Order: sequence, then C-alpha cells, then structure tokens
Amino acid sequence: MLSESARMTTAAEARYRIDYPNSKPRAVKVVALDRPSELVVKRLAERPWQAATFFTALKFDRAPPGGENWSMKAWLSDLAGRTKDLVDEVASADLVVMVSSAGTNAQAAAVIAEACSVRKVMTTALIIGSEAKSDEELSKTLASLRPYASMLVIASNDDYIEEMLVALRA
Amino acid sequence: MLRKEQNDLLTQTGPGNPMGQLFRSYWLPALMADELPENECPPVRVKILSERLLAFRDTDGKYGLIDEFCAHRGVSLWFGRNEEHGLRCPYHGWKYDVTGQCIDVPSEPRESGFCQKIKLKSYPLVKRGPVLWTYMGPPEKQPPLPEWEFATVPAAQSFISKRFQECNWLQAMEGGIDSSHVSFLHRGDLGSDPLFKGAKGNEYNLSDMRPHFEVVEQPGGLYIGARRNAENGNYYWRITPWVMPTFTMIPPRADHPVHGHFWIPIDDENCWAWTYDYHPVRALTQREVQAMRDGAGVHCKYVPGTFRPLAHKDNDYLMDRAAQKAGKTYSGVAGFASQDASLQESMGPVCDRTKENLVSTDNGIIMARHRLLRAAKALVEKGVIPPGVDPEHHKVRSASVVLPPDQAFKDAAKEALTARPGVAQATV
Repeated sequence: MLSESARMTTAAEARYRIDYPNSKPRAVKVVALDRPSELVVKRLAERPWQAATFFTALKFDRAPPGGENWSMKAWLSDLAGRTKDLVDEVASADLVVMVSSAGTNAQAAAVIAEACSVRKVMTTALIIGSEAKSDEELSKTLASLRPYASMLVIASNDDYIEEMLVALRA
Repeated sequence: MLRKEQNDLLTQTGPGNPMGQLFRSYWLPALMADELPENECPPVRVKILSERLLAFRDTDGKYGLIDEFCAHRGVSLWFGRNEEHGLRCPYHGWKYDVTGQCIDVPSEPRESGFCQKIKLKSYPLVKRGPVLWTYMGPPEKQPPLPEWEFATVPAAQSFISKRFQECNWLQAMEGGIDSSHVSFLHRGDLGSDPLFKGAKGNEYNLSDMRPHFEVVEQPGGLYIGARRNAENGNYYWRITPWVMPTFTMIPPRADHPVHGHFWIPIDDENCWAWTYDYHPVRALTQREVQAMRDGAGVHCKYVPGTFRPLAHKDNDYLMDRAAQKAGKTYSGVAGFASQDASLQESMGPVCDRTKENLVSTDNGIIMARHRLLRAAKALVEKGVIPPGVDPEHHKVRSASVVLPPDQAFKDAAKEALTARPGVAQATV
C-alpha cells in the first residue's frame, strides 16, 4: 500500500488542490525617488494592476537644508502631480517599493522607511540603471538605501520591476 | 506567482521546448565517474532532459552516451555486452561504438557496408573531476569544458554525491536560492551536523530570524546576499552565487568544506539533486569523507544499492513527530537533504505557481525566473548564448563574511566571491 505522502504527491492528486483565490490583493505603493526612476514608474503605471499605485518623491530633493518653511506633507505626489500624504499612503500599504537610479543618493528613502517602520510595512528598494554607472556611484546608492530596505535588488533591466510586481500579485 | 504559460515554459525541459534548448547549451553532470569504474564495465541507464540514454566505457576507456535502444528492434542496450570496443545488443548482435555508430550487423555481409548506415544518437561524455559531463546541444555550439572549482581541485579535496528527487527541477533549485528557509527548516541541524557545527556563523543564523536581502546580478546569474546583525553594528553576510541554469553554492561555515548543488532534470517530474563538497586548499579529512558517505551535511543516506534517499515519499520520509515536538528537527524529517526533498516533493510533481503568494524576500527566486525566461527567449529567438555557458562564469565562490554596514558585499567581498586556486574560502 502506498504511503500517504506517495499518494498525495502524484500528478493525479495534484488535480484536487482546491481552486480558489487564496489571497486578497496586496496594496503595493511604488515610489520613484528620482527623475530617471519616475520615467520607468510612469511607464509601469500605464499597465493594469490589481492594487498597485504609483508615486514620485522628486520634490523631496528640493527640501531646504534644515527643513525651514517646508512641509513634510508636501513632497510625495501621484503621477498626476497631486500631493499625497506619506503617512496616509503607508497606512494603507502592504508593501512599499522604492525605485532609485544608480548614482543618486535616494534621500527620501529614509523618510519613507521611517513611516513604514512605524506602521510595520515591508520595504523593498530597486536600483535601476546600474550598468551605465561606475561601481562607486552604485555603491553610493546602495549605501544610502541599505538601512531602509529589507530587500534590495540591483536590476540590470527595467523590465524586472514589472516582473516583480506581477510575481507579488500587485 | 507565475502565469501558467510561464510556469510551463520554465519547467519543461524535453527536446523542442525553450527551456530544453536552454539546458542543452551547457555541459551537465550526467553520471558520477565511479558509476563507470573500469573499461568494459556494465553500462548504465541515464535519463536526462527527458531523453533515455545509455552510458558505457569501452575497451580503451572511452566514454559514450548513446540512445538507450537498439536501432534494429528497439531493445534496451542496457542488456548489451560491453566487449571489444563496443556495446553489442544481445538480441541479434548489432554492435555500437561510443559515438553510437553501428560497427557490426552480423546478419549482413560485412562488405555490404550496411552497418555504416546505422547510427544512434549520441552525446559527448567527458570526465572532469569526479563527474562525467555531457553536452546535449548542437555540436557546432559545444562550449569549452566546465571550470567549476570543485571539479578542478585535486581529487582528494573533493567529494560528490547525487540523489533522486521526485519533483520538477525548478522547485528543487528554487529551494537552493531561498536563504531564508535555513533558519526554520534546518535550524535543528546547524548545531549538531558534523559538517556544519561549531561555526560562529551558526549563531548569527539562529539569533536573527528576519534577514535582510540583497540580490545582485552577475554575468553568469546572481549573487544573493542575506545579511543578519553581527556585533558592533556590523553585518554578517551569507552570499550565495547562482549560475544559470542550475548551479548554487552554499555559503561556508568555519573551515568546513564548501558545498552546493546542481539540479538536473531527469524528466519534467523528476530530477537529480547533485551535491558536491570540496575544500579549496586542503584534502578532505577521513572523518569528513566518512560523514559525507554516511549522509551528513547536505548529502543523504540511501536505500541500499540505489540513489534514492533512505527517507522518501513511500515511507513518509521517516517522519518523527516526537523529534519535531522536541525541537530536534523543525519539520520532523531528519537531515538537510531529506528536509528539503520532502517539502519540495510535497508541492506535487510540478509546482503550480499560479497559486503561490511570493513576498518581497523572495526576490532571489523572482529574479532567477526572470533571468531564465529572458535567456530562453533570447536563445530561441536570436540565438544568444545564455549566461553560465562561458567557463569564466563558473569561477565563482560563495562566501560568509562580516562587513561594516556601509559596505556593499558585491564590492567588499569581490575577491572572496571569485574562485582563486590555492586561496582558502572566506568564511565565518
């Protein structure tokens, strides 16, 4: 007589795996941290997604040193240019994906990660365009993102971001 | 998650499939060299990439890997007589050399030249280190021989084993690049297995259950770095190279030999889990070799006379619930290899990835699939040679290192991740 494991691992038995949606759509917030990333994120946003939304943090770089007369609430925007509140967006996120170009200093990552940390939201950072940059420039971006991302990916191909979001059911 | 057509593409490696074409770009491990221990020894059946083949070693020591079946009436040549420079079918005496060329058809006049018109499909079979390698692609595209470090160090420094795994190659390989499962599934063995215990790195592994990951592309595939907290704000990194399509090397622990795997498709529902162990600068000790033979480390105990693990699906993997409850093993199954195999086989013969829910820490797996799909497409549509074919891509190492927090492992451990003859592995 076959053991239970032997019986249950046949192709015939695999057919009886229950077919139902075993997860709910995950809210994934994708944030471009710089201009080249924004172009990639805008292209991505044109595709149909279950629960992914796309933002840009470009205005963060215009923050004056010390932050005088500058609102922490006024730098995150959606791709239509409407200002969005970071804390609100993070509060409704399951995962925040930060997209950064190699050679940039990804300043906004620290603030985004802080908000995620408070809400216990996972962060992933993707670095694109690394092939056109020197190792030094790439390392600079890596060092600026490492403390703020539980997963850090250097992708040689922009298509990877889309693949990753699909794989994560975004 | 993968769409069904992507899953089918990645998991089907028979002739004519894109992933089959990809696999046929590489030198693949076909047999352990000691499976054909001497000239004119018995032939061995080999099924690989859904092709049934027969390996033999002729009177002169030449290796051959040919179609298993006689061209005459379709008899398996496994019953053949290995004699006088060829393998003779016992049914009517047709005889073949190591290239599959028929060299004798006793019923036909020798002068007729009939046998010249009969040739079985054959592939090169070459010994390199403790392995017999084959290349199953177009002859004009045959790459140089593999340069994996375990196969190029002196014989006394290397040990190889293989085990039969009853599931598709991809779900087995994905286990090899999934560093986060070690702290759970294998936690019971880190402190006791003779080929793992005593390493400082084990303490980091067990004290930080939520590693952070970095996935970096490299010419032959990926480096997957898992970092955990170490002392003084530093990070303990375990860096696993994956070289396309199916090679991985597990980061070392202390001065133990370094080990890793190839997962080679037998057909779409079974694979060989190859396991190598080697030390870059010293001979393996008798005790280490005995431990490997006894199934320690990432090797396994066998059903006697076979390559089937002693713990297998027919005996419920010798599940021990008491050991599970007591924390001796995390899953109730003993040994690294059987722990992995039991769970990977439980997914079914071919894992249905349309139902999975990956998380961000699975990016190593997502990236590996992405690279495989991209390479298969480029090969099929444009004839682009895939990563991992170039022997330079084989000269990689895994590493375990402690680094300051601002250092990228890909830079700080660059030398450690490169095979350097005569230089020891970077290990904690």
